[in-house]
Amino acid sequence: MIAASSVKRWPGWVLLVFVVAGCLAYGVTRDAGARTPEERVEEISKQLACPICNGETVYESRNTASASIRAEIKNQVSATDASDDAIIAYIVQQFGAKTQLLPRASGFESLVWVIPGVALVCAGVGLFFSFRKWRTNVDTVPDAADRARVDAALAAEDAAAAEEPAS
Amino acid sequence: MLAEGLNGLLGHTALIIGFAASLFGALALIAAIRLRNERLIKTVMPYGWLALGGAVLAVVVMERGLITRDWQLAYVQRVGSRDTPALFNFTALWSALEGSILLWLLLLAVYTAIIMHRYRARLADPLVGWALVVMFFVTAFFFFLALGPTDAFRAGATPDFTACCKGPNPLLQNHVLVLFHPPILYLGYVGFTVPFAFAIAALVTGRVGEGWLVETRRWALFAWGFLTVGIVLGGWWSYEVLGWGGVWGWDPVENASFLPWLTGTAYIHSVMVQERRGMLRVWNLSLLVATFSLTILGTFLTRSGVVNSVHAFSDSTIGPFLLGAFGVVVLVSLGLIAWRGDRLRSPGAIDSPISREGAFLANNVLLALFAFVILLGTVFPLIVEAKDNRKIAVGSPFFDTMSQPIGLVLLFLMAVAPALPWRKASGELLRDRLFWPAWCGAGTLALSVFLGATGLAPLLAFTFAGFAGGASIRQLVLATRRQGYRGLLGRTNGGMVVHLGVIIIAVALAASNSYTRSAEFTVMKGETVSFAGHTFTVLDVVDFTTPRTVGIKAEISIDGGQAYAPAISKYTAFGMDVPTPSVKSSFVEDIYLTLENGSKPSTGEAKIKVFIKPMVVWLWVGGMLCAFGTLLAAFPGKNRRRPTDAVSAPIPLDEVSSV
Repeated sequence: MIAASSVKRWPGWVLLVFVVAGCLAYGVTRDAGARTPEERVEEISKQLACPICNGETVYESRNTASASIRAEIKNQVSATDASDDAIIAYIVQQFGAKTQLLPRASGFESLVWVIPGVALVCAGVGLFFSFRKWRTNVDTVPDAADRARVDAALAAEDAAAAEEPAS
Repeated sequence: MLAEGLNGLLGHTALIIGFAASLFGALALIAAIRLRNERLIKTVMPYGWLALGGAVLAVVVMERGLITRDWQLAYVQRVGSRDTPALFNFTALWSALEGSILLWLLLLAVYTAIIMHRYRARLADPLVGWALVVMFFVTAFFFFLALGPTDAFRAGATPDFTACCKGPNPLLQNHVLVLFHPPILYLGYVGFTVPFAFAIAALVTGRVGEGWLVETRRWALFAWGFLTVGIVLGGWWSYEVLGWGGVWGWDPVENASFLPWLTGTAYIHSVMVQERRGMLRVWNLSLLVATFSLTILGTFLTRSGVVNSVHAFSDSTIGPFLLGAFGVVVLVSLGLIAWRGDRLRSPGAIDSPISREGAFLANNVLLALFAFVILLGTVFPLIVEAKDNRKIAVGSPFFDTMSQPIGLVLLFLMAVAPALPWRKASGELLRDRLFWPAWCGAGTLALSVFLGATGLAPLLAFTFAGFAGGASIRQLVLATRRQGYRGLLGRTNGGMVVHLGVIIIAVALAASNSYTRSAEFTVMKGETVSFAGHTFTVLDVVDFTTPRTVGIKAEISIDGGQAYAPAISKYTAFGMDVPTPSVKSSFVEDIYLTLENGSKPSTGEAKIKVFIKPMVVWLWVGGMLCAFGTLLAAFPGKNRRRPTDAVSAPIPLDEVSSV
């Protein structure tokens, strides 16, 4: 079956790699188009926490504190040419650290970033050693005695099935 | 404090009967199993029916209290009102903590009764017996919660109608999905109690082989299906009522439903490795324990007031009990696993990482990591607060950053794994089997670039989704070519339909999150604005009043066609504004209109916000496909193997020894 499909040999795969790489390169590098001021305000407000209602972003929250932060972001977007990150930093500075939604990458808070990485590394190392252990344990090759035991079990089961044709 | 009325009395009586029945049921069953007393076992069934009767009666009485507006009950004062419409008055049962515990209890008692009835001929079998003991104990615990810390039938103070009796939270009384999302989600949560109970029974009896898995695989599947549908419905509800156009906000309560979904998903994959190869026994037990305990922990986090969220109910005394139950579940399970450690050692070995079981293992590690990261992000603010006594928020930017790479790798695994054979795969085999699926991925990428997609993460998501979709369809085509329509049935093939559903959801999420366009306009009546290729004409802006709300409604014609009417209503009793977005849906994009505060009907001025969100409808289509695939997977496939059948062609000895 494998031999019959010669198209699936390496030329097809090489072509595939070129198509994917080309499309990705073109799609990633091209200009996404201008954003409306509202879209910038939205993107920025999704990165900020509502200071009085734990658990909602400024974007989702409907209370007055969030409304005033949204107004300030809007003001910054239209009146200055600061970048999104600069506006976020400005808002956090103006409205307090409670609006910081993304945990900082320094101090104790960096743990929330570090621990998942450590967990990933541990999982990878654990898998590596498991596979190595499984590889060295290739005494699972059935010998003649094992095969005889399986044959006996199968024969017994077939005999039992023959006795109970109703089931 | 008012005297206890008829409903209060009936409710308490029902709960006491149910509590006693489930406790006695558990104790009688333990005694019967220990003494091997067949006659004693026969006495257990009535306890189960009595517990079910107690739970049903409690719910019926509470509904009666709500419907007849029995103001003697504190709970009715809290969630009932004189003018709540019938539907939302009915669903008010689960609109606060006490009532939602009653709903949980009812579903738990139903599951317990079904298990008891289904296995009625096998109650003397210790595996079934102990599973039922666990179910009885869990039911008794929830009866206890409903009696003590979250007593729904407590008599209230004399109602002061100027302050109390406003009805359920406005967000819980303006969309019909309130009738479906919570019960279906709970069916999923509570459903995982069944496989958990059998896992504990397997540990207690020492029958940790594959027998208990076979008993529970369909239960786990149904619980998973309900949980999936419940979560998708929750997203739909949020989209329809919250007015910010999103379906998922990484809120602690949403995370609490996602955590057991992740571990449950890991379980229904890794269980296949155990059935085929007899391996990963401890891992599978741990996943079930994790899934069950995460439902308890999630309930604790969100119902005890330690984590604030839009969903959280008010503070109550339930916290320590749920935390205690979580601790007991984890300790007992770990103790049992340690005790049975010798029997749990698995005999087999995974020969190669590039194999079906290797892929399942990788998928499990990723799903477990995903669950761990989300749990960490959810509880991290608590840790920081405990350590430094300051509040921080961990929100969607963190979860988005973390879930993107994990989600992409999971999609990639979904593409490769179905093509992998058990035991070991060769390069030629993969080159052959993955060829057309990979081209599906490339084609999807080319199409999305052609349609204007940008950005690395969404493009990778589309590519892998196309790849994974191709792999699922390849498997389904092969199976149906061999077996006709029966090729859609069974775990593997039904699973592929679920995969297609998940892939569609992933694509829809990537597209709608990455390419939403939005703008805000202040438009006078009669004026037209255009945005993103559409025109919006404000036909009218009017005030309206209903018995419970005052609001403003705009009529907006999209592209000169039919009028859509976004509104914003103030629930007068709460003083709370609730938006009612109006959405024009199509398979390509949704046009989502909201009316903002500051609109003035007197001058004909409407402040509207427009979101153009691509592919949102496919989220719901994907959810339905997941439910459909789960049903297909529950049917037995055609070629069920006997346990002794060879699982793959024997590997030639010379090849094995060269490994």
